[in-house]
Amino acid sequence: MEAILLKASLLSYLVGTLAGAAHLIRPGDAARSTATIALALGFVLQAAAIVVRVLEFGSFAVASFGEQIAFFTCLLAGGYLLAQMRYHLAVLGAVVGPIGFVGVLAMLVAHGEMRDVPPDLRSPWLPIHITLAFLGNAAFGLACLVSLVYLWQERQLKTHSVGRFLRRLPPLETLDDVNFRFLTWGFILLTLGILSGVLWAELSFGRLWSWEPRTIWSTIIWMIYAVLLHGRVTVGWGGRRAATLTIVGFGVLFVSFIGVNMLAPGRHAGSFE
Amino acid sequence: MSTEEARVRPLRALRGRGQRDREVELWLVGLNHETAPVELRERLAIPEDLVAEQGRKLVESGLVREATVLATCNRVEVVAVADRGASDVAAGLTAALAHQSGLTPQAIAEHRYVHRGKLALRHLFRVTASLDSMMVGESQILGQVKEQFRLAVEAGAAAKLLRRCFERSFTVAKRVRSETGVAAKSVSISSAAVELARRIFDGLEDKTAMLIGAGKMAELAARHLLGQGIASVIVTNRSFDRAVDLARTFGGTPVPFDRFLQYLHLADVVLGSVAASGYMIGPPQLNEVMRARRRRPMFFIDLGVPRNFDPAINDLENVYLYNIDDLANVADDHRVERQREAVRAESIVDEEVERFWPRLAGQDLTPTIVALREKFHGIGRGELERAMRALKSLEPAERAALEAMTQAIVNKILHLPLAALKELATSEDGGAALEATELIHQLFALELQEESQDDGEAGPG
Repeated sequence: MEAILLKASLLSYLVGTLAGAAHLIRPGDAARSTATIALALGFVLQAAAIVVRVLEFGSFAVASFGEQIAFFTCLLAGGYLLAQMRYHLAVLGAVVGPIGFVGVLAMLVAHGEMRDVPPDLRSPWLPIHITLAFLGNAAFGLACLVSLVYLWQERQLKTHSVGRFLRRLPPLETLDDVNFRFLTWGFILLTLGILSGVLWAELSFGRLWSWEPRTIWSTIIWMIYAVLLHGRVTVGWGGRRAATLTIVGFGVLFVSFIGVNMLAPGRHAGSFE
Repeated sequence: MSTEEARVRPLRALRGRGQRDREVELWLVGLNHETAPVELRERLAIPEDLVAEQGRKLVESGLVREATVLATCNRVEVVAVADRGASDVAAGLTAALAHQSGLTPQAIAEHRYVHRGKLALRHLFRVTASLDSMMVGESQILGQVKEQFRLAVEAGAAAKLLRRCFERSFTVAKRVRSETGVAAKSVSISSAAVELARRIFDGLEDKTAMLIGAGKMAELAARHLLGQGIASVIVTNRSFDRAVDLARTFGGTPVPFDRFLQYLHLADVVLGSVAASGYMIGPPQLNEVMRARRRRPMFFIDLGVPRNFDPAINDLENVYLYNIDDLANVADDHRVERQREAVRAESIVDEEVERFWPRLAGQDLTPTIVALREKFHGIGRGELERAMRALKSLEPAERAALEAMTQAIVNKILHLPLAALKELATSEDGGAALEATELIHQLFALELQEESQDDGEAGPG
C-alpha cells in the first residue's frame, strides 16, 4: 500500500518536474497547470504514504535520515503549493518537483531501516515538536529558493541581460515580499518548535535544556534568522542583502542538519542513543 | 561603395527656371547607433532648436546648396545637395559635424558613413521608415524627421530637391507601416520601460514616476506608464512653466528644478531627458535618497543624450539603471519576428528607390515626353484656333476634319523622336538619356513643373 502510494507520488513529482521545466522553457497555461496539479498530486500521495507508515508503525516515524528528508521535502512541497495559490510562483515548481522526487526516493530507500522509537520518547509531544521544527525548516527552505530566484532575476536586471527566462519570473518586489513571509513563518514555527522541545524536556525529563549538537545548532540558526528579520523590520534590509542572508541561513541549517545526523549521535539524530 | 558610386547619376535641379541646368548631387554623412558608441553620439548631439541652424550654416558656408540635419538620440546625419563635382563634400560635412561638438574630424571619421546619390536616397528612406532605427519599426522617427525637415525648410536650409526626397521618404515610411508588420511588432522604448518596471515592481498601481526634463521620449514613456496604471507623476523641468504645463496634462505635480532631489525619494520610476552636460544624479546623492526610502527599488530610465544619470548608480543596491541602448536590447526577444517583416520592408524601400531615383536623377524621361507633347499640341491648337477665326463659315464636320488633321500632323512629327526617347529611357545608359533631355529642353525651351513629376501622393504632411 505504502509502496504503491510512494511510486505513484514519485511519478507525479516526475511529471510535475517535466511540466515545470516545459513551462520555464516555453511558458503556457497548459504546462503551468499540469505542473501544479502533478505536484499537488505528488504531495497528497506522499503525505498519504507518511500517514500510512505512521499508522502501520504506531508511532511518528521520522527517525531515520531518509525519513527526515522525506518529511522535510513533503512539507516543503505543501508550503509551495499553499504559496502558489496566492502568488504566481510557478517557476519554483521546476525546482520543487525534483526536491519532492528526491524526498520520495529517500523514503523508499529508508523503508528498510525503520527504527523503533524508545519508550521515553513515545509521547504526543513527539509529532508536535518534530512537525513544528520541520515546518519551520521547510519555510526557510522555500525562502531560500525564492531568494535564489530573486538573485537570478536581480542579476539579469542589473546587467541588462534580460534573457528569455526573465519574463516568467515574478517581479523582484513580489519575490522580496514572499521571502519575508516565508522567513516570518519559518521563524515563528522554529521558535514554537524549540519552545515545544524545551517544554517537553522540562515536563518529561525535568530539565529545560540539554547541550547537545542539535539544540546548539538550532539556537545558532534561530539567532541568524532573528538578526535577519530584525534587520528587515527595523533597518529595512531587503533585496539582495536579505536574499543572500536567507541563503546563508539555510545553508547553515542544511549543513548542520546533515552534519548532526552523520557525526553527532543523539536523540535528535535519529539514533536515540 | 565604389561600384555603387560609379553608378551615381547627377541630379538636375533648377531645371525649368530658364537657367542653364546645373548638376547637383545628393550626399548623406552621418553616424548612428550601429557605427558609433553612445559616448560619441552624446557628444555629437545637437539640441533640437539648433538643428535647423546647423543646416543653414552649411548652406551659407557655400559647401552645399541645401542641407537638412537629422539629430535624434541614435543618430546625427546631414542630408545635403551639393554641386556635382564639388570636391571634399564628405570631408566638409564631417568637419562641420565634428566642429559643432568640439571634436576633430579624425575622431569621428572611423564612425561615420558617407552615402552618395542613390545610396544616400536609400539611406534616407530607410531612416524615415524606421528600418535603420535601434528598435526597428518604432514610430517616433517619422515624426522627428518630419519636424526637423520642416525646421530646415523654415530656416531656408532645405529647398526644392530635398523637399522632393523627404516628402517621398514620408510616403515610403507610410507604405512600409501599412504594408508590413514592422511597426505592429515594434516594441517601443516606452513599452520596454513598462516591461522592465513590471519585472521590478509587483504592481504599478501604488507607484510614482518622476519626469526630469520634458524630452519627447520621456513624455511618451510617462504617458505609457500612466496608461499602465502608475499612480502619480512628478514633473520637473528647467523651465518651471513647462513643468507646470506638462504636469497638468498628466494630472501630476510640478516641482522646481533646483529642488527636485528633495522629492526624488518619492519616485519609483525616474525618467531623465534633460539636454545638459554633466550627470544630474550620482551615487552620493542617490545613496541619501535610497536611505530615505528604506532602499525600496528604484528604476532609472536615462533617455537623455548626453546621459543624465551617472552609470555608477546602477551598482547601488536596488537601483536599476537603463539607458536607451539597454532598453533596446530588452526588446530583442521580438527581434526575429521583426527581422522577417523588416526584410519585406527593405524590399519596399528598394522598390521605391528604383522607382523614384530615375525621376530625381533626370533619367526618367516621362516628364520630358509629356512636356514635349504638350508643347507641340499647344502649338497645333494655337494655330488651329487662329485659322478657325478666319474660317468662320465652316461646317462642323469640316471643323472636325481640320482638328483631326492638326492632331495627326503633330503626332506624326512627334512619333519618331518620342520613340527614340522612350528607347533611351529604358536603356542602361543614363548619361545618354540625360544629354538627350537636356538638348530637347534647350531646343524647345521646355518648362517642367518639378512637383508634377511626383506621383501626387507625396503631398506635404
